[in-house]
Amino acid sequence: MSLLQAFAPAPAGSGWPGEEPPPGALSQLVTGVWEFLSHTTGAEYLFFFFALLAVVCALVTIAHRNPVVSAVWLVGSFVCVAACYILMSATFLAALQVLVYAGAMMVLFVFVVMVLDVDERGAANQPKHRRSRGRGYLLFASVLVFVLGWILLGTVTRQFRTPGRAIEADFGTAEAVGRELFGSALFAFEAVSLLLLAAVIGAVVVARSRRERIKEAAAVGLEGESLQAAGLAEEEGDSRDLSDAQVRQPHPAMDFGQPSAGGHGGGH
Amino acid sequence: MISITAPLYLAFALFIIGVIGVLVRRNVLIMLMSIELMLNGANVALITFSRLWGDLDGQVFSMFVIGVAAAEAAVGLAIVVSIFRSRASVDVDQLTALRD
Repeated sequence: MSLLQAFAPAPAGSGWPGEEPPPGALSQLVTGVWEFLSHTTGAEYLFFFFALLAVVCALVTIAHRNPVVSAVWLVGSFVCVAACYILMSATFLAALQVLVYAGAMMVLFVFVVMVLDVDERGAANQPKHRRSRGRGYLLFASVLVFVLGWILLGTVTRQFRTPGRAIEADFGTAEAVGRELFGSALFAFEAVSLLLLAAVIGAVVVARSRRERIKEAAAVGLEGESLQAAGLAEEEGDSRDLSDAQVRQPHPAMDFGQPSAGGHGGGH
Repeated sequence: MISITAPLYLAFALFIIGVIGVLVRRNVLIMLMSIELMLNGANVALITFSRLWGDLDGQVFSMFVIGVAAAEAAVGLAIVVSIFRSRASVDVDQLTALRD
C-alpha cells in the first residue's frame, strides 16, 4: 500500500473491492466491523491494544496534577510504545527505549521532582485512593514484565510478522543496527557522544547553587566589579535573584494584562 | 499484518498529545515530559518508515533522537533546578523577569 493511498480519504463503499456497498449506514457499519474483525490478526490486536494503552497513558501524563504520578504514567506510555516497536521488527530499539527512556530518564525526572519538593496535594493525604493507586502500579509492573519477556521471546524466535518490504532475518537486531551505527553513521555517533558530554557539563554548571558559585568566585579571586557583574556581590544579591516584588507588581506601562490568566488551572 | 497507517496514527496521537501538554500545562516538569512525548512520536514515525522501506537508517536515526532527548532532559532539568532555587516555583507563569 503506497503512502498516498494511506493518507487519502477512502471513497465511500470501496473499502473492500469486489463487494457491493450495503444500502444503509448501519448495515455498512456492521459489515465494516465484521470485515475488520475477521481480517485482523493477533499481531494487529496486540498493536492496537498497546497503541491505545500508550495514548491513554500519554493523556493521563499531561492531565494529572502531580508530576510524580505523571512520570509514572509516562513510563507506561514508553513501555507500550516499546511493545509497538517489537511489532515493527525493531527489537533492539524496543530494548533501548525501555532502558533509556523508561529507565534512566524517568529516574532523572522522578529524582528531580523529589528534590524540588513541588506541590504534591492529593498524593499523601487521601488514604481512600491508596488501593486504586496500588492497582495502577501493579498494572504497570505486570505490563513491564510482559514486555520484557516479549522482547526476549521476539529476539529469540523473531516470530512477528510486520508490514512493508521483505527484510532479512536480522532486521532490527543489535548486530544489524550496530553494523549500521558504526559504519555509515559513525560521524553522527561521535557527534552525539560530544553532545552528551556538553549536556553533562552544561547540566552541572547550570544547576550549581548560589553558595557554590560564590565559593568558586572566591577561589579564582573574583572581586569588586567583576563580582557584581556575575551577580554574586553580597549587597545586591537580593535585588538580583529575588525580584518577586517587581514581578508581582509590574510597571503599569509595561503591564500587558495577564495573558495566561484563564485556561490552565491545573498548574501543579 | 498491521496496516502502515496504524503506527502513523499512533505517532500523530503521541505528538499531538505532547503539543497539547506543552501548550496547556504550566508546570515546567510536565512540559518537559510532553516534549519527551513529542520526540517519542517522532521515533515511532521513524521506525515505521524504516520498516516500510526495509532500511535500517531510520532505526539508527531514532537512536540519535533518543540520545538528543537524553541530553535535552538533563539540561532542561538542570535549568528547572536553577529556576526553582531562585523562584521556589516551577510555574512558567511566574517566570516573567525578562518581560517586566
